[in-house]
Amino acid sequence: MIWQLDLILLLFVLICAIGALTVKDLLGAVIILGAYSFFMCILWTEMGAVDVAFTEAAVGAGIGTVLFIAAVSKTKRRSKD
Amino acid sequence: MLEYIISKYNFWIYVILMMIGLYAMMGKRNFVKKLIGMNIFQSAIILFFVSTGVKAGATVPILSGHGHGHGHELIEVAKYINPLPHVLMLTAIVVSIATTGVALAVLILIYRRYNTLEEDEILKIRKDTGV
Amino acid sequence: MKVIALIAALMTGALLIYGTEEMPDWGDPNSPASSHVSPKYIQEATEKTATPNIVTAVLADYRSYDTMGEVVVVFTAGIGCILMLRKKRKGEGD
Repeated sequence: MIWQLDLILLLFVLICAIGALTVKDLLGAVIILGAYSFFMCILWTEMGAVDVAFTEAAVGAGIGTVLFIAAVSKTKRRSKD
Repeated sequence: MLEYIISKYNFWIYVILMMIGLYAMMGKRNFVKKLIGMNIFQSAIILFFVSTGVKAGATVPILSGHGHGHGHELIEVAKYINPLPHVLMLTAIVVSIATTGVALAVLILIYRRYNTLEEDEILKIRKDTGV
Repeated sequence: MKVIALIAALMTGALLIYGTEEMPDWGDPNSPASSHVSPKYIQEATEKTATPNIVTAVLADYRSYDTMGEVVVVFTAGIGCILMLRKKRKGEGD
C-alpha cells in the first residue's frame, strides 16, 4: 500500500482504457483491453486482494480476451470510430 | 490540502474510469467498442468495491499460525484486510464474464443478419427495408 | 449524439466526485465497511471452518448458496450461447 505505486498503476490503467477505446483496429483494441485487465490484476495484488487478482487474471484477462478475439475473428476487424 | 488529495484521489480516478466506460457505452457507434466500454465500467465498479476493504498497514486475509486446536487466542482485526468485498467481487467478475459471453453471441447474430456492426448503418438498413 | 453522451457522462462523473466528499479516507482501518460485520468473520472463520484463507472460507462455507447461484448463472449463459450460435438445419426456423 504505497500510494505512489498505486498512482502510477492507476495512470497505466487509465491510459490502457483510453487506448482501448481510441484504436480503430478492433483486434488491437481487444489486446489493449487484455493489458488493461492485467494492470487491474497488479493493482488488486497491490491492494492485498490476492484472490480477486488471480480470478481476474484467469477469468477476466484470459477467457474474456479469448471470447473477444473469437467474436472479432467471426465478424469484421475494422471499426469506424 | 495534499493529505486530502492523497486520501481521496483513488476515488476520483475510479470515477474517471467509470465515466470513460459510460461514454463509450453511449457515444461509440461500434458494438464491440460498446462492449469494451461495458467491461471498463464493470471493472471500475469492482475496483471501487475492492478498495473499500483496504486497511493501511494490514496484510492479506490469510491467517497463519492460527490453526484449529488452539482456537481461543484473539486475532487482531486491524492486521488483516476486510475479506467481505473480495468475496462479493469474485462473484461479480464471473458474472461479468458470463454477460460478456452472451453479448458477444448476440453480436455475432447481428453480424450474420445485417453484415455490419455499426449502429447507424444498422438503423439505416432497418429504415430502408421498413422493418 | 456524441455531445449528449459526453455531457451525460460528465454530469454523472461530477455528481459522483461530489459524493466522494463523504467517503472515508482511503485505507482507513476504522471505516464503516471494516468495522461492522467483517471483524466477526476475521476472528471466527478459521476456528469454525478450519480454513486459513478467510476469503475461501466465506465464499465456500458461509455463502455457498451464493456460489451455487453463480454456477447457475454461468450455466444459463453457456446454454444461451449454444442456442444462439448453433448451425440451423434446413427447414428449421428462419
